[in-house]
Amino acid sequence: MSVMSQLNSPVLYLICGGIILFVALVCVVFLVRAYRAGVAIGMDRTKLKRTITASATFTVLPSVGILLGVIALSGSLGTPWPWLRLSVIGALHYETSVADAAAQAVGIGHLAGAAMTSRAFTTIALLMSVCIMWGMVLAAVFTKKYTKTLRAGSEKDGKPSGIAAYGDLLMSAVFIGLISAYLGSYLGDFISHDGRFTFTGSWLPLAVAAVSALVMGVFLWLKEKKHQEWVDNFSLAGSMLAGMAAAVLFGLL
Amino acid sequence: MNGKHELYFERYDRTTHRLGRAACLLTLVLLLGAPFAIGGYLGAMPDLGAVAKGFLAIGLVWMGSSIGEYILYTPMLGAGGSYLAFITGNLINMKIPCAMNAKELVGAKSGTKENEIIATLSIATASLVTILVLALGVALLIPLQPILQAPALQPAFDSVVPALFGAMAYQYFRGHMNMAVWPLVLMGVLFTLLPALVANTSMMVLPAGAAAFLAGYLLTKKSIKQQ
Repeated sequence: MSVMSQLNSPVLYLICGGIILFVALVCVVFLVRAYRAGVAIGMDRTKLKRTITASATFTVLPSVGILLGVIALSGSLGTPWPWLRLSVIGALHYETSVADAAAQAVGIGHLAGAAMTSRAFTTIALLMSVCIMWGMVLAAVFTKKYTKTLRAGSEKDGKPSGIAAYGDLLMSAVFIGLISAYLGSYLGDFISHDGRFTFTGSWLPLAVAAVSALVMGVFLWLKEKKHQEWVDNFSLAGSMLAGMAAAVLFGLL
Repeated sequence: MNGKHELYFERYDRTTHRLGRAACLLTLVLLLGAPFAIGGYLGAMPDLGAVAKGFLAIGLVWMGSSIGEYILYTPMLGAGGSYLAFITGNLINMKIPCAMNAKELVGAKSGTKENEIIATLSIATASLVTILVLALGVALLIPLQPILQAPALQPAFDSVVPALFGAMAYQYFRGHMNMAVWPLVLMGVLFTLLPALVANTSMMVLPAGAAAFLAGYLLTKKSIKQQ
């Protein structure tokens, strides 16, 4: 049985599906408790029901976008693991970049189904979990104290201040650093693959990145200039799929 | 809100923290345990040395990002919403806008008990809908596996990362060009002059992020001075 077949085997669906089921149960418990608490403290039932309906309808389209992310990752990691990671804790941009960094760390180069081994997969899976668990760790340790402090009035009008504003700059810097490092590596690899300034490296990653950026530009134009807000739900996954489709076409050249 | 309501909410809040902590810890155990369970089935346990190396390369960066997200988003989400959002993920692209949308709809103010209830309802609903849509989608994906693994499509799946960063570059850089140009130029020059670094791209995320942070910090300071 090939590695990819093993990564799509019923046992993996069972392991990943079991964890997703547990998280779904947690959500149901929190949903029911919050609804009952809202009624008990005198909130309007119509408002509570409206929140549930609005949130459900709001989420359907972005969920389809996330599903496209599962499809995008299924070629290199099988379907069950991306299904778990994008249902629980993960995010599309995070999963892809960490999986790729993990692939480098285990020595299979970049994230690709053909190079995947069983050990590389389990190592990538563990590294993905270790890297993303910190939000959950912080929530478990600090949320009680943090929310009490916030309720005591240190926050005004819901706007972050002090360290929270600093956190915003940190998050932007992290994303920009991440993107710059990868784009710089595609450029460097193309220019200096077989020695400095030989221009013999692959241009495919640069071309794919350019197509994705272009399609993202079109999505944002539709949203901002044509007021098609709905495209926002698909912009990231849609741009990625366009870039990936372009890779197939460039491969035929 | 009268005294009876206050008392009820305090009890609700205490239980939310107990349940939230337990759910976070259990999910953590399951997520960290899953690669070992899969390793047992595949007969190949994770390479802990490579995990440590990978964590130093990129994990520290994401740890910083997680701290930023936690500080930033907890005030918007309240206790119940935060526990659920950090368990279920997809914060920026779904949970935060969803909770903000619900908050706007019912006119709840941040930090209030109403907001706590609304955010929890919103995040729980959003998480359940995502789980349902993904489960249905994955069930439909199973018959498509032979097509997805066709050799003709492999260039597409091998290009996931450049496709992601191309799209994200447009999205993030256009709003932060002054901040982004420095790490981008720095990385382009470094990888061109030292091509061996390409094999360790993830190790370069930290210096690139530091360059972006420094540029952003200096720009903020400069704009404050000008004001």
